[in-house]
Amino acid sequence: MQADWVLKEDEAIELLALLITSARIQMDEPAHYGPLRLLTAVERLSSLIEARSSQKSRGFLQDNIERIPDMHMLMSDVEAYTEGLDALCRAVAGCLLRHSALEDEA
Amino acid sequence: MNETLRNIKTRRVVREMSEEPVEREQIETILEAARWAPSGGNLRPNRYIVIKAAETRRLLRLVAPGMFQRAPVLILICTNWQVVEAHGLTARDRALLIDIGTAAQNIMLATHALGLAAGPVTSYSKEAVRIILNLPAHYSPEMFICIGHKAASARQGMRAWQKITWRDLTHWERF
Repeated sequence: MQADWVLKEDEAIELLALLITSARIQMDEPAHYGPLRLLTAVERLSSLIEARSSQKSRGFLQDNIERIPDMHMLMSDVEAYTEGLDALCRAVAGCLLRHSALEDEA
Repeated sequence: MNETLRNIKTRRVVREMSEEPVEREQIETILEAARWAPSGGNLRPNRYIVIKAAETRRLLRLVAPGMFQRAPVLILICTNWQVVEAHGLTARDRALLIDIGTAAQNIMLATHALGLAAGPVTSYSKEAVRIILNLPAHYSPEMFICIGHKAASARQGMRAWQKITWRDLTHWERF
């Protein structure tokens, strides 16, 4: 199964570091920074796996994740920020379906 | 407009920087500006650590979720607690925070005056930074200032939460 791996150990550790330190700093930061930190982790993970990802994922990563930095600029507009997150949720659900047997049954 | 006032009004936080290096002389000019920042009681408890080495910057960025920049230079403002304690101050003394703020502002204004870009970062794990930089126990890492050149593709800054003028922030005379 090794050929299917999209993340190297060093890269996984980098992502762990980001998630662990994000958890710590969130104790001192406003609650609305939580989505920002999670999306930063999403961006990093996406940048790490994109080159080795399958066609099923690549479109999702290229079309959606690259928009995340623009979303951060909307943090002060809660409605727009929420809509951006909803759009991302819809896109990741579509990606999940492409990876799922459900898509083949349709 | 007066050059100093123009510098104050045109400075912006920059979150996207290019790989273009910053000259040593420019860094020294910025550090001298930090040295001239006002300090409570003229105690000067701040110390500055300059990080240029690529691998050290990479590791620091991994424990600093708020560091969106890939800056060629990081200046870490630290508090030297030996200085603080020698003058009978405690961690609750607000002058210590004010000192960090005045130094940070001088660093950012000097950086902007040199035509460079700066962005402060406070979202990082102090304990992880302490390990990576092998900080002595009496140093605490207070704030990073990322220094570099603004990326050509840099986005505009975060949208303002509300329009504010100095009048909105000011009350004259007595309540």
